[in-house]
Amino acid sequence: MTTVGTFRTLALSPPGRRVGSLLRHPRAARVLSWVGFVAAWQLVVPFLPTDLVPTPSEVAVFMWNELRMETVAPHTVYESFSLSFQRLGVGLFLAFAIGVPLGLLMGLRRWADWFLHDFVVVGLAMPSLVWALVAGMWFGFGDLAPVVTVTLAAVTFVVINVAEGVRNVPKELLDMSGAYGVSRYATIRHVIFPSLMPFFFAALRYGLANAWKGLVLAEVWASTEGAGWVIKFWYDAHRSQGIVGYALFFIIVAIFIERIVFGRLSRWVFRWRPSDDRRTPEPEATDRDEAVPAAVPAATPGRQ
Amino acid sequence: MQTNLRPRRPAAPPSPGGDERAARRRAERRARWLWRIAGYVFFVGLWQFTSSFLVADFIVPPPAVILTEMWDIIASGQVWVHFGATLRTIAIGFAIAFVLGSATGLLMGRSRWWEAFLSDWVMATLTTPGLIFALVTAMIFGLGPTGPIVAVVVTSFSYVTVNVVEGVKAVPRDLTDMARSFGRGPAQILRHVYLPFLAPYFFTATRYGFSIAWKIATLAEVIVGTAGIGFMMRQQFQQFSMRGFLAWVLLFFAFALFLERVVLQRRMRHVLRWRPEVAR
Amino acid sequence: MATIKVTDLRKEFVTDTSTVVAIENVSFEVGGHEFVSVVGPSGCGKSTLLNILSGIESATRGTVDITEGDRQAKLGYVFQSARLLPWRSVIDNLLFVQSTRGPQVRARCERYLDMVQLAHTARQYPGQLSGGMQQRVGIARAFSIEPDLLLMDEPFSHLDAITARSLRRELHAMWQETRKTVLFVTHDVSEAVELSTRIIMLARGGRLVADLPVELPFPRDPASDAVALARADLLRRFESLDLLAT
Repeated sequence: MTTVGTFRTLALSPPGRRVGSLLRHPRAARVLSWVGFVAAWQLVVPFLPTDLVPTPSEVAVFMWNELRMETVAPHTVYESFSLSFQRLGVGLFLAFAIGVPLGLLMGLRRWADWFLHDFVVVGLAMPSLVWALVAGMWFGFGDLAPVVTVTLAAVTFVVINVAEGVRNVPKELLDMSGAYGVSRYATIRHVIFPSLMPFFFAALRYGLANAWKGLVLAEVWASTEGAGWVIKFWYDAHRSQGIVGYALFFIIVAIFIERIVFGRLSRWVFRWRPSDDRRTPEPEATDRDEAVPAAVPAATPGRQ
Repeated sequence: MQTNLRPRRPAAPPSPGGDERAARRRAERRARWLWRIAGYVFFVGLWQFTSSFLVADFIVPPPAVILTEMWDIIASGQVWVHFGATLRTIAIGFAIAFVLGSATGLLMGRSRWWEAFLSDWVMATLTTPGLIFALVTAMIFGLGPTGPIVAVVVTSFSYVTVNVVEGVKAVPRDLTDMARSFGRGPAQILRHVYLPFLAPYFFTATRYGFSIAWKIATLAEVIVGTAGIGFMMRQQFQQFSMRGFLAWVLLFFAFALFLERVVLQRRMRHVLRWRPEVAR
Repeated sequence: MATIKVTDLRKEFVTDTSTVVAIENVSFEVGGHEFVSVVGPSGCGKSTLLNILSGIESATRGTVDITEGDRQAKLGYVFQSARLLPWRSVIDNLLFVQSTRGPQVRARCERYLDMVQLAHTARQYPGQLSGGMQQRVGIARAFSIEPDLLLMDEPFSHLDAITARSLRRELHAMWQETRKTVLFVTHDVSEAVELSTRIIMLARGGRLVADLPVELPFPRDPASDAVALARADLLRRFESLDLLAT
């Protein structure tokens, strides 16, 4: 005979357990992991057989000096990144200028899809390294090779996403607009365009990510300035804190673009979507962690 | 009294309609192949035209030259040496990454604490450009195969982890509840509910991780390889030999496509045969 | 034939902002060859009650004793959706919940599959079956562990009316044949009248408001006057109880 028992879940935890439950909080885990990681890195480096691994403090000092424009590299971090961004912007603009018409054609006409599909797939799968090296061989050292690399690395993402978006325009909404006699302009403006938006976003996001990788590689092998080239400079100078420091700049920029630019933009564009935090919490949402059941014994009447 | 439930008009005899539909489908398939071939002809023609009339041969070599170059690479046996080297790097690196990533993914998917502990680092490795890992490992391990292997482990690890976490979080609660209410233990739930459910996620992880592994392996070889596809690409690049470079890239493509489409997808169809759309 | 004894059962869900009472001090007893329906509007805690009885959830307060003679009773569960493992064949789904292995266990599973007329699908995957067939596999699975008590959570509510009707008939036959105790949760009063020997009514907030025997002879034809009258009588009674007040 089993008993579920008499429990009160809302009992206050004794003070001794409060510290423990504080540590069990996910936010504590996050803080712990940062502190632990940096501390471990700093402490382990002196014992490594190589002196090519930088300590966090070395990296921090390097980054701080870079930000104050004190650097032995020929260009400051601001100059390098702004040059790279200009190349990225021009290349992406070209990618959209070429990719959007092609994508529309492929989405609207089946023969265009059959004609181009295999080449688009090859373009999607092509490592950006290949684009960078090809562009380097074709155009030599200068601005042209990085820009062409960006365009080549991004254009297939634009084409495939626009084509997919055109095919996904909800037919029942088009039929509804037709049934109510909505004008052609209004249909494009209010039905087709909004349903294409997510695909434009996907094109921009993936195209940008791939283009950025290609750009850095093109700058390494086919340029004499830009963020990628500076990384190569630190590599040749055997200054690993330079590489790690620049990597952190890259991550900061990536997070900035992802969170601030894309986050804001998509929240504004998709403001009509029901947001996640408006959903009411479900009563049975219990903690998946093993920490909680200690207070409530898992009773299994009828079995055990 | 008669009911109104019987069909009003006799169903049309099935054969003509079926024939018509089949004929239309055949015509469509023919059109698709014609356009496809037209696409290939157009691009190869454009290529040939560019190299014979617009630019010098060494900038855009004609297709036939590339083909003979590819044949030379295969016939001389070079292709096996370098593909073997790259494949070995990928196989070792990805195997390690898969085991580590699956374990980490299970841990992160099951426990919020561990998810919070690790997610920043997984995200960081995901967003760091592969070049950074290639350069840092190159600096630490120098010339030779170790650097590329470590670079492959670090980059493909996070792809595996992210996919497994996603899968673990999506494991249907109603099935685990069902298994528990029939008294099944954790080991059985892991084996019969979790693992089969996660199989497609493992495959996605493998596909993404694998394509990343290819790229990072060649990139690392471009920098510090002493053999491998990337090493050959660098050699051709340094000699400004467009001919050799394109030949290696095309071979690389053929091989990667074969591995992904044929080997991996066949395996996937076998494991996912319970799905109605696969069984068909 | 098991005995269920529920005493002063209470269940609260605590969220960050509020406490929701799902079941409020419910007591009842079920025993023997009974088919008890728990009826009530949605959100009255019916499913929670079943989850507590089966051990998926734990109670905030109160006791639940489910016994068979002097030992613990064995439970079989039929869910609202079939909850079959889609990657295992039908027969493997039945074998998955067995606590022992062996040829006689397999034979037993096959017998129960045959009882729901699905012996021919044993080697197929659930995805190849219709919704009604999947639910029949779910019922066969619950019977196949030869439980003392069957818990059923609105098992027919996802099915179309015709399939549901034939499944009700099948379930009734199996209950008559195996003489199990059944606790059946539903929001459908007609279904409860057609199948059960007793009806327990819950109101919003998990209060037990009525516990009535259904004294009609089996088989009950849902179209017959007797069943229609009983249903009408029941509905009238329930309307007077103000079930939606919290």
